[in-house]
Amino acid sequence: MGEGTIGMSMSRRQLLRMIGMTAGGAAMYQAMSSLGFAAGSGYAGPPRLSGAPKGSSVLILGAGIAGMVAAYELRKAGYKVKVLEYNARAGGRNWSLRGGDRYTELGGATQECRFDPGLYINPGPWRLPYHHQGILGYCKLLGVQLESFVQVNYNAWLHSSQAFGGKPQRFRAIRADYHGHVAELLAKATQASKLDAHVTREDQEKLLASLREWGALDKNYAYVKGDSSSSRRGYDKDPGGGLAARPVLSEPLRLSDLLGSGLWGALALGDLYEFQTTLFQPVGGMGVIGQAFARELGALIRYNAKVVDIHQDEHGVRATFEDTTAPGSRQSVRADWCVCTIPLSILGQIPMNVGAPMAAAIAAVPYAPAVKLGLQFKRRFWEQDEQIYGGISYTDLPISTIGYPSTGYHGSGKGVLLGGYVWGVDAMEFTAMTPQQRVARAVEYGSRIHPQYPAEFDNGVAVAWHRSPFSMGCFGMWTEATRAQHYDNLCRFDGRIVLAGEHASYLPAWQEGAVTSALDAIGRLHQRAVAGGTPA
Amino acid sequence: MNAVNTWRRVLIGASVLALLVAAGSAPVLAQQLGSFCVPALKSADGAQIYAHICQGCHMPGGKGAVGAGHYPALAGDRALSSASFVALTVLNGRRNMPRFARRADAGEFYFALPVLSDAQVAAVTNYVRTHFGNHYRGKITAAEVKALPR
Repeated sequence: MGEGTIGMSMSRRQLLRMIGMTAGGAAMYQAMSSLGFAAGSGYAGPPRLSGAPKGSSVLILGAGIAGMVAAYELRKAGYKVKVLEYNARAGGRNWSLRGGDRYTELGGATQECRFDPGLYINPGPWRLPYHHQGILGYCKLLGVQLESFVQVNYNAWLHSSQAFGGKPQRFRAIRADYHGHVAELLAKATQASKLDAHVTREDQEKLLASLREWGALDKNYAYVKGDSSSSRRGYDKDPGGGLAARPVLSEPLRLSDLLGSGLWGALALGDLYEFQTTLFQPVGGMGVIGQAFARELGALIRYNAKVVDIHQDEHGVRATFEDTTAPGSRQSVRADWCVCTIPLSILGQIPMNVGAPMAAAIAAVPYAPAVKLGLQFKRRFWEQDEQIYGGISYTDLPISTIGYPSTGYHGSGKGVLLGGYVWGVDAMEFTAMTPQQRVARAVEYGSRIHPQYPAEFDNGVAVAWHRSPFSMGCFGMWTEATRAQHYDNLCRFDGRIVLAGEHASYLPAWQEGAVTSALDAIGRLHQRAVAGGTPA
Repeated sequence: MNAVNTWRRVLIGASVLALLVAAGSAPVLAQQLGSFCVPALKSADGAQIYAHICQGCHMPGGKGAVGAGHYPALAGDRALSSASFVALTVLNGRRNMPRFARRADAGEFYFALPVLSDAQVAAVTNYVRTHFGNHYRGKITAAEVKALPR
């Protein structure tokens, strides 16, 4: 779930920046490699587990990405595997809502998705970075087709309700003007000998040349209206052909207006490791991955199974569950080992006899509030009127994000936008509303960026993650302090139980965290099982 | 009292909404459109805090909800007989319930979490103990909340 990693990985990024500044690039690369950064997510290819002790069994709780990766690999290694899943579908937070789908949230409000055929919204994860080789590897293995996900769109909007009269600005123009003004300032400082203490004379010439290039400065190192600046920020009238071919240059924004707008705050988002090109999405919606896993695992997954008790002894683990289609019923499954992927928000409420360290870890992680909105419009006006093909607009309004579909370009029918990705305190407020109120509010806010909204709006769905019956929150909200105190205890085996999921990873909210934590957990499970022989 | 401060602390996230507020612009438009939390949280009373924040999980009427797990119903909950238990829970959080007291680690998140003053913690505590069919006696004061450990 995307932006989820920005804050979480910041401390590592800050550390790397510090190392880079004090010790230089080579030390930084070494540090990066040892932190597992330069090398990717820690995914080292599909595991080659084999030789499960004869007759040994594993019970997996939760058929999300972590649970299904574990089930797939453990079955392959020769274990007898059973998966219990609360929902009537597989995937967990890997999920796409399509026309005809019904979703009942906690509190009982039911939404029927009325999108046109082929259109969808991903309430959970929606993008796959190229370096998330674990989840991408399973896409390949399961035949899940991928297409490009557009993160940065130079023609999308940056919007502040407090700047430029509330008029959205093109990302392209804000970026060009920010770089241009900063380059001009640096060039001035260089020419005024203000950098002599830091940069040699010889390097100053190179620096000036690079600033002209980077900032689109003119021959006098000024960022002004001209061919150079318009070639970055765009034209008032684009160059064309024939008699009316001549372009009309555009006027850069003033530096003080630009700084005051705060819009520069969104420029570096696409530079974040997780958001760098190339990103992918599965053709047909993120939920296709979960569906592909479910097909692969077939009858291994028992649906509509609500786990109410987990009990281990020295020989194995027994989970008691209720068949939610027969309320009050009780059944149980027993196995030698248990891989539990139930979100901590729910697991903390299920009786389970683990030691104090794991129990304390489970209780220590509240889940982040987030709300996503899918809005269907009668036509793809963002493409037709505004030439926005995929990508994201950002705003200071509570909706924060408008995501344009990276597929189906030039479609003549209806289209679905991510009409909001609401976070924190705003998400709490959206969660407290009815689904209809959330959708209405998102349309109201979005119309400030796209005036076409009121006339073109068709229907919408709103998923407030704290109202999700199967996760009760968006993702595990770790802090540096809780990680230091609890993370290892959460991941360590407790007897015959091991936990997995994005909550047991340093990639919060990312499916890659679920994949890599599951592979790590089953690797350790296999070692134990082999070392211990066939449990009684 | 701390909602805006909290937003200012969210500088680490490269999220434009945080930075816009950090740049000193109160989201007046959001207020015009009826958005509640950021501009209005600092003056919200117990009923408003419940309606705009708490009921996201505890539901309208304090009914709670049951899915794979549950959110406790506040209506008829005997745990509410202790005002300090309720206030402590609001201040420090409990399992999946977040902390609503000011938090030193707020800067680690790229989004703003709500912060309630001692007076507001008292107000929402008193509200839930006297609504939804609850009639627990003994109001807690801001001074008493202030004395609670956090």
